[in-house]
Amino acid sequence: MPRKDLLDIVSLEREEIDCLLDQAVPFKELFTRSVKKVPALKGKSVLTLFYEPSTRTLSSFEVAANRLSADVTNFAVAQSSIVKGESVRETVETLQAMRTDYIIVRHSRSGLPSTIARMTKASVINAGDGAHAHPTQALLDAFTIKEKFPDPTGKRVLIVGDILHSRVARSTSTILKKLGLEVAYLGPGSLVPKVGPENVLRFTNYEEAMKWKPDIVYLLRVQMERQDVQYFPSLREYHRLYGVTEERLRRIDGEGLYIMHPGPVNRGVELCDGVLDYSRSLINDQVENGIAVRMAVLYWLKPGGEVVG
Amino acid sequence: MSLLIRNARIASEDSTSLRDGDVLVEGGIICSIGTGLSAPEGAKVIDAKGRLLMPAMFDAHVHFREPGQEAKETIATGTEAAINGGITGVVMMPNTKPAIDSAPVVRMVLDSAAKNSRIPVYTSGCITKDRAGKELAGIDGMRGLGVKMLTDDGDSVADPAVLLRAMQYATEFGMFFASHCEVPELAGPRALNEGVVSYRLGIKGTPAAAEEIIIDRDIRLAHAAGAHIHIQHVSSKVGMETIRWWKQRGDVKVTAEVAPHHLLFTEEDIGDFDTHYKMNPPLRTKADTEALLQGLIEGVFDLIATDHAPHTPFEKSQDFVSAPNGITGLETALVSLYHYFVATGKFGWDLVVKRYSAEPRRMMGLEPVPVEEGKPADFILFDTEAETTFSLDFMRSKSRNTPFLDKTLKGRVDLVVLGDQVLLER
Ligand SMILES: [Zn+2]
Repeated sequence: MPRKDLLDIVSLEREEIDCLLDQAVPFKELFTRSVKKVPALKGKSVLTLFYEPSTRTLSSFEVAANRLSADVTNFAVAQSSIVKGESVRETVETLQAMRTDYIIVRHSRSGLPSTIARMTKASVINAGDGAHAHPTQALLDAFTIKEKFPDPTGKRVLIVGDILHSRVARSTSTILKKLGLEVAYLGPGSLVPKVGPENVLRFTNYEEAMKWKPDIVYLLRVQMERQDVQYFPSLREYHRLYGVTEERLRRIDGEGLYIMHPGPVNRGVELCDGVLDYSRSLINDQVENGIAVRMAVLYWLKPGGEVVG
Repeated sequence: MSLLIRNARIASEDSTSLRDGDVLVEGGIICSIGTGLSAPEGAKVIDAKGRLLMPAMFDAHVHFREPGQEAKETIATGTEAAINGGITGVVMMPNTKPAIDSAPVVRMVLDSAAKNSRIPVYTSGCITKDRAGKELAGIDGMRGLGVKMLTDDGDSVADPAVLLRAMQYATEFGMFFASHCEVPELAGPRALNEGVVSYRLGIKGTPAAAEEIIIDRDIRLAHAAGAHIHIQHVSSKVGMETIRWWKQRGDVKVTAEVAPHHLLFTEEDIGDFDTHYKMNPPLRTKADTEALLQGLIEGVFDLIATDHAPHTPFEKSQDFVSAPNGITGLETALVSLYHYFVATGKFGWDLVVKRYSAEPRRMMGLEPVPVEEGKPADFILFDTEAETTFSLDFMRSKSRNTPFLDKTLKGRVDLVVLGDQVLLER
C-alpha cells in the first residue's frame, strides 16, 4: 500500500522503513556521478512551506527535489505563522489550485502537517512540526548509523539534551527502536519526561550513561527559543553537566564512540570546539545523507489520495 | 391531555429492580400507576412493552453559547438537543459573550429561554465580573432572578482571596459555588493530559496536579467560609480521592460531578491529533477513568453532567492546539451511559436516575421527579433493545463535535413527556 503522506515515524511499518533506507542507497551513489539528476519526478511540482526558518532542511529538500527533476517552488509564507483554521484551509486551497503534488511543511505547531494532510490530495511531508516529529531527520539518522553498522541490532545510542522539546529525539528514538537498537536519554530532569516512550532508559549523569556502554552519543541542539520557562540555570551549567567537554571527548574517543548531532551545533554548549576535528563525528555524513533520504521519500510517496477534511 | 403508558418497566433511584406497570397521566400529573389500567376517553395510549419508563434527566453543566456565540449553539437548539437526549432541565454555564455576570444578562438569557425553550432552563452566574477573577459579579441582582450557582467555569478564580470573599458574601444569600479546577500556570495550552500522549504528540500537556491543587484549594476555602462547593467535571483519580477525603471529614458541604467522556475515553483516544477528543479538563489515563467510575459507583460523585460544549466544525477542523476545547454531550450521554455501563452490568438504572436526574435537581433546590402517583409527569421512555446512530440527521444541536458522530450505540430515547406535553416521540 503506497502512502500519501509522511507525517511521523510512529505510523511507519518496519518494512516501509527498510524500503526507504534501501532506496536511499542508489540515490546516494548518484552523488558521485557527473550528472547528479534522474528524471523520476519530471513534471511533478514540489512546494516548500516553511513557517519556521531552517536553511539547512529547506535546502536539503530543494536539492533532493531538484535531483529528481521536480519543479520546486518555495511558497513565501508570511512571518506570522498559520494557526487559525481559516488560514490553514485558505493556504491549502491555494496550493491545491496550483496543482501541487507534494507539500513539504515545517511549522512550530505540533500536528499542523497532519491537519494539512487531511485537507489536500497532495503528498504532505512533515519537515518538522513543533516538538512532535521530524521523520526525514530520523530516516537520515538511521541511514547514517546503518552505514557504520550495517546490522545495527543491539547497538546503543545515547541521546543527550532537551528531550522534552525535541522532535528529533522523538522521531529518531522511535526509528532506532523499530530497527532494533537500544536507546537511552540523558539530560536535566526538567527536560527528560518521566513518561516518555517505554523501553528507553533514562540517565541523569554522564558517568552512569557511559557505564551503559553506548556506541553512539547523539547530542541534541539546545533550543532556547522553544523554552517558555527556565528549564536549567545557565548554558554554562548545562555544558558542564550535559555537554561534551574536552575531557568527555577524550573518553568518548578512547572508547571509540561515534558522535551525531542534527545541527546546527551550539558550540560550547552541546559540544566543545574539539569535536570539529573529531574523526568519528558523523555530523557531516548526516547532512549529505539527508539529501539521499529525502529523494527516497519523495520517490516513495504517492500523491492523490482521498481528502478527508 | 390524558396519556396512558402500558406495560412499562419503571426505574427509580431507590431500587435496583424495575417495577412493572401502567402509568396514567392526566393534566400533567401522574394520577395512577397499576396494572390493567383502562384508558380514559380520548387518551393517547402507548404500549411500552418492556421499555423503560424513568424520570427525565437533568444536566447541571451545559454551554449554550447565548448570548454571543450563536453560531455554535443557541438556547433553542441546545434545549432541543437536550430533549433529544432525554433531558428536561439544564443549568447553563455563564462563560458566554458577554459573560452572565449581572442581572441584565441573566434576564436576557431567561427571556430567550422563555421564548425559545420547551424545557426549563436555569443559569448559573459568574463569581467575578467578566470571569476576570478580579471584581465580584452582580451577585444580589442575579440572585433576585433565581440564580443559585456561582461559577467562573472555563477558568478557576485564580486569586484565592477573591474566591474566599465571594464565598463569605454569597453564602449568606443561599448561593453555592461551582469550581472549574485548574492552575493556569500548569495548564499549558490546555489541550491534553501531560503524559505519554502529550509526549508523543509534542504538545505541552496539563498535569493532573493542575486540577488537583485547585480541587483541594477550593474545598479548603469553602471549609473556611462555610460555603457549599461543587467541584465540576473531575478528571483525575487523585482529584476524586481528594473529594472523597473531604467528604469523609464531614465538616464542609462538598458535591462533585463527573462527565460521561471522562468515564469513557482516555488520552490514547486522541490518536493522531483528533480534536474531537480535545477537552478541558483533558482526557487522562485508564487508571483515572477506572477510578472515576469507581468514584461514581461509591457516591463520591453526586451527579453526572455533560459539560455540553458545542463548537462549529470549522473550529474543530483546526490543528489540535488551535481547536477549542470541548465536545457536545446532551444527545449522547444517556445512551452512552446505558451502552457502556448499564448494559454491561457496571451499574444499574437506579444510579443513572439518582446521579443524572434526582441529585442534580436537588442540588439546584428543585424537587426530583420520580415516577410516582401524584407527581408531575416528567419522564422518558427508553428502549434498551433499540439502537441509536448519532448521524448528522439525528443531531439537533447546532454543533456536531462529538466522538460519537456516525457511531451506533445500544439504547434509544423513545419518548419525552413534560407536564401535559409530549416533547419527543420516536
Ligand atoms: Zn466547563
